[in-house]
Amino acid sequence: MSVAVQGVRGSERVRAERWAPALAGLLALVLIAATAEIVLDGAVGHSPLIPKSPAIAGWLAGIGERLGYRSFLIAVLASGAAYGGLLALLRRVGAVSISKRAVLVLLGILHLIVFVGPILLSTDVFSYIAYARMGVEHGLNPYLHGPSSIAHDPVYTYVGHDWRHVATAYGPFYTLLSYPLAPLGVVGAVWGMKVLALAASMGTLALTWRCARARDIDPVWAILVLGANPLYVIYGLGGAHNDLIMLAAMMGAVSLTLLSPSARRDSSAAGLIVAGALVKATVAALLPFMVVSRRRLAPIVGAVGMLFAGALIGYLAFGIHGIDVVSALNRDAAFVSTDSFANEIAHLFGKPGVFPIDHALLKAGLVIIVLHLLWRTWRGYDWIAAAGWTLLAISVTSTWLLAWYILWPLPLAIISRDRRLLVATFAIQILFVAHQCTPLLAPVA
Amino acid sequence: MSAPSSFTDFGARLPAWLAPRERELPGSGRTRLIETTLLVLVGILLAVATVNDVVLQTHVNHRLNADLASWRGYTGHDYKNLSVEQDLYGHSTRDIVCGNTTPGPPKERIQICLVATGPVVDGHRAIKGGWYLPVKSEDLRRYRYGCYGSAKTEGFCPR
Repeated sequence: MSVAVQGVRGSERVRAERWAPALAGLLALVLIAATAEIVLDGAVGHSPLIPKSPAIAGWLAGIGERLGYRSFLIAVLASGAAYGGLLALLRRVGAVSISKRAVLVLLGILHLIVFVGPILLSTDVFSYIAYARMGVEHGLNPYLHGPSSIAHDPVYTYVGHDWRHVATAYGPFYTLLSYPLAPLGVVGAVWGMKVLALAASMGTLALTWRCARARDIDPVWAILVLGANPLYVIYGLGGAHNDLIMLAAMMGAVSLTLLSPSARRDSSAAGLIVAGALVKATVAALLPFMVVSRRRLAPIVGAVGMLFAGALIGYLAFGIHGIDVVSALNRDAAFVSTDSFANEIAHLFGKPGVFPIDHALLKAGLVIIVLHLLWRTWRGYDWIAAAGWTLLAISVTSTWLLAWYILWPLPLAIISRDRRLLVATFAIQILFVAHQCTPLLAPVA
Repeated sequence: MSAPSSFTDFGARLPAWLAPRERELPGSGRTRLIETTLLVLVGILLAVATVNDVVLQTHVNHRLNADLASWRGYTGHDYKNLSVEQDLYGHSTRDIVCGNTTPGPPKERIQICLVATGPVVDGHRAIKGGWYLPVKSEDLRRYRYGCYGSAKTEGFCPR
């Protein structure tokens, strides 16, 4: 390369580093404004996007207007564009030009905005509270009964119609974790769930930082990719989903394997994955890849130990139904959501929806993908990337796809050695958001 | 010698093509190329399916708006609570729109159901016939009465 070309590139870089902080500030403002608009408009209530909820954000209600599909989608697209712009900017000029403090402040503001606002886009948190209240206040086993068995309880009115007769599908550790919130009343329990989600998110971000550093990836970039992701903030944190707790356990396990690996740490990591699976079963997908990658008995010992302890606790607390995760998973695997890719492909081929044969084909496809990834891991492929691909494949092949499911692979994609995983995760997120955009193109009068 | 708790000994006994590796060999580019090609193909399929679904749903919403406008124009009532039964998968263009004949909560008055068909022209569709429903009734054939137009010739009412 000639000296002249080097000089031009150098001066371009200097110029880019000069305007980068201003542009990053502008993009961050768009991200904050779009998130604030959703929260403030959502606080007004009477929106199809805001579940019926006790008045937890009434003091914000006078500022915004009723949240409609159009304004919500515009805000999501604006925050998506700002997020993409920030990541592109960081990649172009490097994290040196954008301070760690600025990124932490941005993530703090985004988290705070969503924390003080209403529950967004999902009634799931009210199901969590209903299951807790069933066990603590009414002496009913949430693994045997749906919330309809406590129709007289104040939380019942907020539980989604589709879930009123459905027993909990979450693991016994999550159910026990939610029990102390039950006596706080519905409003107190909602705030408790919000605090849990916030703490889990902050824990996941801190662990992602540690994992990124251990892998020589810029940690500032890593936490920005995760913590400013619009689906993570608006859908995941906004809905106070327990997926965030599962992600914290997942990243805790990964960080244990990355920082000064040892047999004891491998054992603890596998135990933590099982503990996470006893919150929400999906994270168990990491375990075979960890075992194949480590090629030690320690992770198996740790996993079996935690499984035994978890099964014992689940059995003592909830009986045999508390540890029957398989039947709960089979039941949920039969659900079909309009946003699932399986449903979209069925429409593409002129079918009205997904049929039982399609479920079987999707499961077979998933098994083939997992076997291929296990083989690749055995032959030296990054096990974290393989686990991330598996989580992505689970969400893509699932007939029941919700926005927070496509967050599962994101922390692993950020720290994986295979950049294709991050690109694929973003592509799936973009397609998911694009599928929501019909009301922008043809709003119903 | 490694500890008995290690799989290393087991791995060392396997042939080279089957043995575990700590890191991938630099020459694994062909596998990567195949994977990337498959990923791109899957990505294209998902993108086409998503765009197709959005277009389908946009047409459905467009037709829904025309159906609602046609019902309001035909009956002269600007009611919000109307129920629409659409053929979502394009097997026909026939939709059925029902609403109260006089002001009141949904289904708490006698309802008039209209059969809308054909293309959307100026935000409206052709009304080819219809029928009435008693108070608090779903749109089931046994409850329908007073069929007229295409609804009568096609036997939408029980008598």
